[in-house]
Formats: sequence, C-alpha cells, structure tokens
Amino acid sequence: MIQIKNLKKSFRTEELETYALNDVSFKIAEGEFAAIMGPSGCGKSTLLNIVGMLDDPSSGSYQFAGHEISGLKEYQRTELRKGNLGFVFQSFNLIDELTVFENVELPLIYLKVNKSERREKVLKVLERMKIAHRENHFPNQLSGGQQQRVAIARAVVTNPKLILADEPTGNLDSKNGVEVMNLLTELNQEGTTIVMVTHSNRDAQYAHKVINLFDGKVATENQNRELGTQIKEIGVMS
Amino acid sequence: MLKLNLKLFFRSIKKHRGIFFINLIGLSTGLACVLLIALWVIDELKFDKFHENDNELYQVWNQFKGADGISTINWTPDLLAETMADKFPEVEYATAQTLPEWFTKVPLFVDGKTIKATGIFAGKDFFKVFSYELKQGDRAQVLSDINSIIISESMALKLFGTTQGIIGKAITCDLMNIKNEYQVTGILKDLPTNSTNQFDFVLPFESWKKASAIIGREIKWTNNGPLTYIVLREGTDVENFKSKIKNFTKLQNSNVEADLTLTKYSSNYLFGNFENGKQTSGRMDYVYLFSIIALFILLIACINYMNLSTANASRRLKEIGVKKALGSQRGSLIGQFFSESILTALGALVLALVLALLIIPEFNQITGKNLNLSFDLSTIGVIILIIIFTGLLAGSYPALHLSRFNPVAILRGTTKSSLSEVWIRKGLVIFQFALSIILIVAVSVVYMQIDYIQSKDLGMNKNNVIYFQKEGELQLNSDSFLNIVREVPGVIKAASTSQNIIGSDISTSGGLVWSGNSEDAKQAFYNIRVGYDFIETMDIKVKEGRSFKRTFSTDSSAIVFNETAIKAMRLENPIGKKIKYVGKTYTIIGVLKDFHFQSLQEAVKPMFFILDSDPKISEFLVHIENGREKEVLGEIEKIYSSFNPGYIFEYTFLDNNFQVQYVSEKRVSSLSKYFAILAILISCLGLFGLATFTAERRRKEISVRKVLGQTATQVTIMLTGEFVKLVLISILISLPIAYILSSDWLSSFAYRIKLRFWYFFAAGFVALLIAILTVGSQAIRAANRNPVKALKED
Repeated sequence: MIQIKNLKKSFRTEELETYALNDVSFKIAEGEFAAIMGPSGCGKSTLLNIVGMLDDPSSGSYQFAGHEISGLKEYQRTELRKGNLGFVFQSFNLIDELTVFENVELPLIYLKVNKSERREKVLKVLERMKIAHRENHFPNQLSGGQQQRVAIARAVVTNPKLILADEPTGNLDSKNGVEVMNLLTELNQEGTTIVMVTHSNRDAQYAHKVINLFDGKVATENQNRELGTQIKEIGVMS
Repeated sequence: MLKLNLKLFFRSIKKHRGIFFINLIGLSTGLACVLLIALWVIDELKFDKFHENDNELYQVWNQFKGADGISTINWTPDLLAETMADKFPEVEYATAQTLPEWFTKVPLFVDGKTIKATGIFAGKDFFKVFSYELKQGDRAQVLSDINSIIISESMALKLFGTTQGIIGKAITCDLMNIKNEYQVTGILKDLPTNSTNQFDFVLPFESWKKASAIIGREIKWTNNGPLTYIVLREGTDVENFKSKIKNFTKLQNSNVEADLTLTKYSSNYLFGNFENGKQTSGRMDYVYLFSIIALFILLIACINYMNLSTANASRRLKEIGVKKALGSQRGSLIGQFFSESILTALGALVLALVLALLIIPEFNQITGKNLNLSFDLSTIGVIILIIIFTGLLAGSYPALHLSRFNPVAILRGTTKSSLSEVWIRKGLVIFQFALSIILIVAVSVVYMQIDYIQSKDLGMNKNNVIYFQKEGELQLNSDSFLNIVREVPGVIKAASTSQNIIGSDISTSGGLVWSGNSEDAKQAFYNIRVGYDFIETMDIKVKEGRSFKRTFSTDSSAIVFNETAIKAMRLENPIGKKIKYVGKTYTIIGVLKDFHFQSLQEAVKPMFFILDSDPKISEFLVHIENGREKEVLGEIEKIYSSFNPGYIFEYTFLDNNFQVQYVSEKRVSSLSKYFAILAILISCLGLFGLATFTAERRRKEISVRKVLGQTATQVTIMLTGEFVKLVLISILISLPIAYILSSDWLSSFAYRIKLRFWYFFAAGFVALLIAILTVGSQAIRAANRNPVKALKED
C-alpha cells in the first residue's frame, strides 16, 4: 500500500540545508500495522506528515495505493486524502467550538455524504467507541481518554484505508493509553492499515513492523508479529 | 457545510465576545457614515435629472473673450430661444426663462389678500422642455395667452384656500412696479427639492416683453437677460451642433461680441464652474470629497476587523489545521472567512441602519437636504453593494492569510505569528492613524479659516442691517418714508440703494475715462447707485475726502471710489479729479477704505458709488441698534403699512447674505468635524482591541519579566511604548500630507489664516494622547496581574 523510495526532505535556512529525512526507503503492505520509532528530532513526524500527504517531500518517490504522491499539488493531495486517510493526533486536535457529533461528522461533510447517512455513520462509530452518550458535549467537557476516542472515531468514520497516528497515547494515562491501543489493534484486525509514530516501546509492540529512524535515516526495520500479540495480551491484563 | 460553518461562527462569537463587539461597533459606525454619505451622494447625482428630456436638455450660454480669458455667462438675448427653435431643425423645443432670483418676493393680490412669492417668465414651450408636473391645465396651452399665470399648489392654497375650481380666476401681480391682472391657467405641483430651478409661479414670456417695453428696456440681440434652454432632437450630434451655433448671435447682429455654447442642463448642478470657457468642477468636488471620506472611514473600520480577526485567529488555528487535514480545500476555507466577514457586516448593517435613522434629522440639518432612508430599489442596491464590498474588504486579509497556513505546523503547534503578519498589522494601524490625523488637521484648519472669515473686519458693518424692497406707493414716497424711519428710536441710519452690497452680483462697468487713460482700456469697476447716507449706514470708512452730502448740490455729479480702484487707476491726489462715465463727467469727492463686498475667497476689486436721487432705486437699508431689533422692526412695519396698504413687509438681515457665501464651507466644516471624530474613535477602538489582545498573548512573558524584577510601571511603559511608536510613525507620515492638503484648500481664499507649526503639532499630540489613554489602560491592567497565575497555567 505504501512504497517509499529514496525519500528526502530538507529544510533550508539562510546558510545551510538540513535534512530531516535523508534517503528513506520502506514498504508497508495493506493491512499492516507499522510503528515508526526513534529519538526526538530524528524525522518521525516529518515522515508521518509526508505519508499523511500533509507535506511534500523534497525528492524521492512516495506511492500510495499505486498513485505517485510526490510532486502533486496541494489540492490534489487534499482530494486523495479525503476518505482514504484518518488522523489521530497526540493532542487530539478536536475543534473546540464543535460538539462530539459535529467533530466526527466533519470528514463526512467533506466527502459530501448526505445528512441521514452521516447521522447513521457517526452514531455507529460513536457507539463503537463507547462515547455515543456524549454526542452533544463539547471537547472541553470530556476527559483526555474520551477526547482521544472521539478523535479516533473521527479518523475511522470514513472507513479509511490508512490511519496515521502521531503519538496517540502521549497525552493519556496508562489505562486510557491501553484502551486506545486496543482500539487501533481492533481496527487493524478488521483490515485498516495503521502507521503510528511513537516514543513508547510498549505501544510499538502492538505493531507488526517497527521502523527505527535515526538522524533522518532508517536505522533498522523489524518484523515482530508474535511479540506484538503477546505484549498485547500482557498489556490488557495489567 | 454552510450550516456547520455558521455554527462555528456563532459559537466562536460567543467565545470571543469582546473582539466581536469591537468589530461590530467599529463596522456599524463606519457603515452608518457610509450610508448617510451614500444617500447624500445619490441625491446630489440625481439633482435635476428627473426631466423626461434629461438626455437632450441643454442650456445655451454666452461666452465673452476678455483680457483674462473666456468668461461664460448664463444671460442670453431675449429672442435667442424662439429664434433657435425657428432656425435649427435639430431643436425640438426651446424656451427662454427669467432667473428666479430676479423676482423674489413679488406681491400678488387676490380679493384683498396679499402674499409674496417668487416668479419667472417663461416661453410657451416651457412645460414641454421641462417635466414639472401640472396638476391642472394643459401643458401645451397654459402659457399661450399673454395674461395667463400658473401657480404652485401651495400658493393656490395660500391665495384661495383650495386648489379646486380656481382655473380662470384673477390674480394681480406687482412686478417691476407694473400692476397687471392675470388669469390662472394651470396648477403646478410643488417643485421637488432636487430641482435647481425653484419658483412659485410662471408668467408668459410675452408678458415679459411687454413689461420690458414699459420700463424702457430694449429687446435686441446686443442685450442679454433671460436664460435659454433647448431640447435637441434625439440623435443630434451635440459637438457638431455646438460649432453650428457658435456664431449664431453674431450673424443676427454684427455688434454682438459673444459666442454661444451648450452644456447639458442636468450637468450644471454638479459642474457649475467655468474656467476659461470650459465647464470644470463645482459641487462635484464635494461629492468626490465626501465619497473619499466615506471610503476612508469604511477602510479604517475594516482595518479593525482585519487586525482583530487575524490576531484572534491564533485561537482558531487548530480549526483551520484540522479542517485542512480532514480534506478541506483552501478555497472552502477562504469562503468560510469571507462568509464570516460578510455576516459580521450584515450584523453591523442592522445596527448601522438604526444609527443612521437616529442621525438623519441632524444630518439633514447640516447638509440642508431632505434625505430619508427609503428602501427603494436603488437604495437597496447600494446597500447590498456596500455590504458585499465591506465584507470582502474586511475579510480579504484574514481569508487569504489564514487559509494559507500549513496544517502540519498548526497541528504540531509550531505556528508563530510570522514577521510579515506582525508588520502588516502594524502597517495597518499606522495607516489608520495617519488617515485619522489627516482628518483632524483638515477639520481644524477648515474650522479656523471659517472662524477667521466670520470674525474678520470687513471694513464695513454687516450686523443689524436689514434690507427690503421698495414697492407700491413707497416708490413715490421714498424720501418721506426714509425720513420717518430715521426718526424711529433705535434706528441708527437708513438709506436707499440700487443694489444690495453683500451677496448679490453687483454690476460691473468698464468704459470709465480718467486722465492718463483711454476709453478702450478694459478696467472693470463694480458700482452701485446709492442714496444719501448709504456709506454711513454701511459704516464704510472714508479715507480721503468725504461721502455724499445733501448740503452739496453738486453731488449729483460726484463719484466715490474705493482704495483699490484708485490704485488700479494710478491716480495721485485723486480728490477733485474728473472722471467721464456714460457720457457724463463726475468729480471724485472721496476715497473709501477698502471693504469686502464679496466672499473672502476674492481679493477686493475696484469699485465706485454714484449718487442716484431717482426715488425708484430699488431697496432700503436700515441699520438698527443692537438689542432693539424687535421693537424697531415692529415700528418700521407700521410705517411701511401706512405708506403701502395691502403690501407685506418682508425684510432680510444683511448678515444672512454674508453667511450664505460660506454655506458650502460651513457644511463641509461641520460634517467633516463629525467624520474626523468618528475616524479617530473607530481607530482607537481597533487599537484598544489590539492592545487587549497583545496584553493577553504576552501574559506569560510579562509574568516572567515581573518575576525577574521588572516593575509594573516598566511593564506598562513597555507595552504602551510599542503602540506609541506606531502612532508616532503615522504622525510623521500624515503631517506633511495634511499640510499639502490644507494649504491647497486655503489657497482658494484670498484672505486666509497662516498655517502654523503648532496646528500640526497639536493634531499629532491629540492623536497620541488618545492612543496612549486607550492602550495605557490595558497595559496597566496587564502589568498589575499576579504573575504566579499566568505561570501556573502551562
């Protein structure tokens, strides 16, 4: 599903050019759960933003489901993003002035889904995230864990092929963190590809594949399907 | 989407009420100004345009080549209109018309009832040329009989108490001392206020010709008098026609010196000035001026919106980022911000309409108009245009700027106000204040100049002097009437005169001959024929020699000049010198100190007086003791009635005529005063919002500074200083512009105030002071907050 080849992203200041990503290549297959790890400033978030089509690489190739993304105009990326991609952020990024229902509804509006269908889909996903009773609340009336569940609901309401999660448990306590990871795993098991940036080894162990970045380069790439399953069980028990 | 955006808009208003209200108040005040000015401008532009023939309706003018260029005169030969209609196939209709100013306060009698009204003589096609509405009477026939009269509805009510059944009734008119009986042939609907031509009754032009013959005024091609209006046939090439008629009057009589030209009738109102034969500006200057002021005020209000919205946007960045990440295109965000600004403008419009309704009576008084907020199609159209324009202008910067943000940066929380954004915001504040300061300076200069004119010594007395027409029996008993009036306690002096000295077009004559000068030298002199005591009544000072005295029988051939005239004639020791004028020799008996008989926009011109003992010279002047006007006027009225039974005593204070000369300037002055106050208020409102916002955003910084030992005073100075800098820059930019503009305006006055440095300094200081007060209050509040609170928050 994702094929990245010799990807570079540089930032230019007046005097020097720094590479946030330098010759990164990897593949993520459809249905895979991949974690991107590495120390602060290694380029994780830059990579996630490029994969999420929010940002454009300086050079190299990025193919998403067979489409070449690099070199596309902003509005073309926006079109491709709609419905195909869901985002989960560390700081939730819910719109404060919209209710839970309206926040989740937003991506469907951009997809021009009609009103009754929207209502049906939003309620369904809210049920699933166990937050339906809060549909008319505003984000600041919810706990962190609840807010992240709303954010996940918003990410999945369009049935995207790919979910991008940027430190999804970073602002949560461990209990809520585990719940969020379980939700992501469940979605993955239903067939959604997930790419997650994380600092946490424990979260990484939910993934099939861990890509370690260091100084803008892929340092190691490990498969750990079994390990992931085991840790998940331990996590649930603890 | 729209529904969701509306929800977002209203919820964000609820959350950031303060900023929203500042935006709303600023925009609605600005819009109210714009609405009023728009009403005024529309009214001005529509003036005289209601005639059906508007597109083909022209006025014919005389043009004379003189030493200082071509002068353009509205007076034309009496026969011009009818001859043109006869000779040119292009002319569909033509009419002559006497000036309404010639016959004001004409006494009209019906069965012992008398009223005074303004009348004109007009050609038989007058009502075909102009579309004044006739309530009764046949447009084509009303003026065909020499004794017909058409009166306005309100005049009919005054004279007959009704408008019904009065066709054919008789009205006696005392015009130029000729009493004549006329029959009502038509009733005219009262003229609309947006008509330049204003009169109460119309008499046939044939009757004018007859009256001219009686008073000995010859009707010939070299004599000018009435105005000439023509309607050209559709499709006539006007330029072509102009060259065709240029020499027309010269061809009729070889002694004629004038060329003819045309202007569109409805253009005369706005472009009433001629410069060297070309129609130039006029009231249109004020239309431009106020349109610009309206635009500036709207701009200032929109800048508030731009600044506060972009500053406030940092609070809405997340919304923008999330929407972009979820698939919103930039265009849809731009649309959202524009719809917000247009919605705000709509909200402001509602308030603005209320404000405008409240202000309109006052506004009408200042502008001398009769405007109202009627919601006809054109007004609604203009309002919609204004709202869209305001919404787009105010929303432009926020929409384009905010929608450009990179969602990655927003969502990562790394967006900072970019340097360019900060500079644009500062630049806009500077621009706002520069405009406000220019307005303050302009208003002060206009005010001081008007004040200077009002209080300037004119060299004669205009206060407590009344004048009134000599009519009826008074023409025969002028001297005995004056003698009785002079005895009334409280009357200082009284005299008769051929013309009013202030505010009327005083006649000019050339052709004076004096030693060292030949007849063809073209020095024009203003002149008035006066009775005894005129110079004393007007309190004009004698510089050399004396004024006219009854004790000198030779004074019937005496002449008195003003200083400027003596200078212009280069006469040394003028007293006793002989002057030849219209075939008669006069002796100079006195030189008067210069006095201002024209608007102070004009330099004093050469002038002379000669004595006229003809009892028929037309006006009386009476100088009344200050404070006794009421009793004296009552007394004069009694004497007047005893001399002139059946006539109404109507007088005017000379001071009024003086004030009329400056009506436009005074209107501009008082209107722009209000606009300047509004401009600075709206600017300060914006500054207040921005200061509040800055103090809010720098809370943490302020707390850290305080923890590190900065005092509250230092913090206040730091915060205030930043804005003061901006105002100082705008002062530097605006003062030179204000200087250029005000000296340009002043240059239209021959007598004017000197622009002094401190006027500008004071205007800048006022703006600065207001800004400091506005920002300072917020700065002090921010500086005195407990620093611990802000630090704990993160």
